[in-house]
Amino acid sequence: MTAAAAFVAWAGASVIVLADGRRGLAAGVGLVALGFAVLAWANGLWLEGAILIAGGAVSVFELVRAGPQEWGLMAPGSTPRLILAVVGAILSLWVAASVTTGPGAPLRFASLAVLGLMAGRLLQSQSAIAVLTAAAGLALGLAGASGLAPSGGGLAPYLVGALIAAGAMLIPAVESRGA
Amino acid sequence: MEPELAVALPATGALFTAALRPRPRAALIAGGLLGAAGLVAIVLSAPGVSSDQLGLGLSISPMSRAVLLAAAAALALVVAFPPQRADRAVLLTWGLAGIAGMAAIAAAPSLDLVILVTLAIALLQAAVAGQRPLAARLRAPALAVALLGVGLVFARIDGAPILAKFAAVGLVAGLTAAVGTLPYIHEFDPDEVTAASPIAWIAFIGPILGLEIVIRARDLIPSAAAAFGAMLVGLGLLNILWGSLASWFSEKGTSAWHFSFMADWGLVMCAFGVQVADGQAAAVLMMYGILLSRLPLYLWSRQSLREKIQTDRPINLLAAAMLAGSAPFAGFAARVLLLRGATQLYWPLALVIGIGLLLWLPPSLRLGRSLGLPKGRQAVGAGIAIALSVAIGLYPQPILFLAGL
Repeated sequence: MTAAAAFVAWAGASVIVLADGRRGLAAGVGLVALGFAVLAWANGLWLEGAILIAGGAVSVFELVRAGPQEWGLMAPGSTPRLILAVVGAILSLWVAASVTTGPGAPLRFASLAVLGLMAGRLLQSQSAIAVLTAAAGLALGLAGASGLAPSGGGLAPYLVGALIAAGAMLIPAVESRGA
Repeated sequence: MEPELAVALPATGALFTAALRPRPRAALIAGGLLGAAGLVAIVLSAPGVSSDQLGLGLSISPMSRAVLLAAAAALALVVAFPPQRADRAVLLTWGLAGIAGMAAIAAAPSLDLVILVTLAIALLQAAVAGQRPLAARLRAPALAVALLGVGLVFARIDGAPILAKFAAVGLVAGLTAAVGTLPYIHEFDPDEVTAASPIAWIAFIGPILGLEIVIRARDLIPSAAAAFGAMLVGLGLLNILWGSLASWFSEKGTSAWHFSFMADWGLVMCAFGVQVADGQAAAVLMMYGILLSRLPLYLWSRQSLREKIQTDRPINLLAAAMLAGSAPFAGFAARVLLLRGATQLYWPLALVIGIGLLLWLPPSLRLGRSLGLPKGRQAVGAGIAIALSVAIGLYPQPILFLAGL
């Protein structure tokens, strides 16, 4: 179950990396929220998981509510991004399952994969909406990764992460000029 | 209760100032009162004592409190003696928002929350209308958040000892990306409004963020403390060299100021890397220099930079001496402490830093000239900044006492 959730989180991050359209980005951020929420629930953090789902849902709603509704998946020239998504997964899996020890390998994998892929998307993209979605994914990933803290991260990181993920999409994505 | 108020009062002040902007006097009074109340909350916060009003153990460390007070003083100085053509209500709005974010970073109970608050600040700053595209404005700070997050994950997982060193790499890379120093220099547009530009990170939010990352990283990865310090010193030396040379030779005056902040950050990073008491004291005094000297002078020089005015009056020489860290200014005390700390750690390092310090002189003369001839309120402001720097340089003990050093 937790392995599947970690895979869903990675798949969501990969979709954010590969998509240029709002629908694709919405699907990506929704999957990231779902993956980390299930990982939180698996650790008994019911409220924290629900908060992540709520933050992700607001992001998805804001993305599909306005703007041109396209998927924009795998546009021509996106092979390097596909390679990034696959290599990111392999490296994260290697670190989470082989280099490190102890329980919680799915959460380690999901955290490293999502944070790494969001960093790649931030560096690569020139589009405001893609960068804002990557920031939302980053907030959800950081909130989920707080579960790795020895005594648990508490409710606050989940709440703040979900608020940031929801709020990121409220920033006008139209490029502002002047001042 | 004080840490909560230290965040809430400036944040409320920023909201009131923004809402009352059509009535500038009311906006300034409301923002000023709430900001002053927030300052009182910071002063009254008992260092290291946790407050649990929100179910979170918020506390502000002595060093963070000292740096927060310097940031608040810098904001007060700039709003009271504003740069030409600057809207004081706008300055106060964004300044108070920054102070609220910085107080939240300082009071956060865990590094997770520090990183998330940093992401929130980056998104809020991206919402400010700027010259650069939104993606360019958000990229560097959000990348810093990702790097810090990866570093934090590595610090928390069990496994081979090298993982702690990976964590140190992530945290140092995140720190440099957040502040905007080499190798992650933020894209800079000389004509951009300061609140939306990388100067907000390198000169205002950067000091408290850098301090919190360094303090918390030492507790998080004690086994990699030496590697963490060595990376800071290495990157610090690189920034000293690059920042001072670029500040000297860059074509545009505004870019020269930007690079000069990088050079100062090089010294701060070296000071953080020198993990002895003198190094920490030097870091605090250097950050006071960035906040109370370099940042206000940069803001006051922007108009003369636009008009390409350069003057060689005594005030320009005094400003240049202050920026170069000569005696009796605060930068001199910081440099002496840094050299003493570096000598305790490894004397050839002190020699290298000492040679690097000579590189401050030519760019500082250039930057001092670019201040032009301050008039009216700006002249008073420049006089206060210089007097403050002299006072701290001659007797830094109260600042160091405030910082618990």
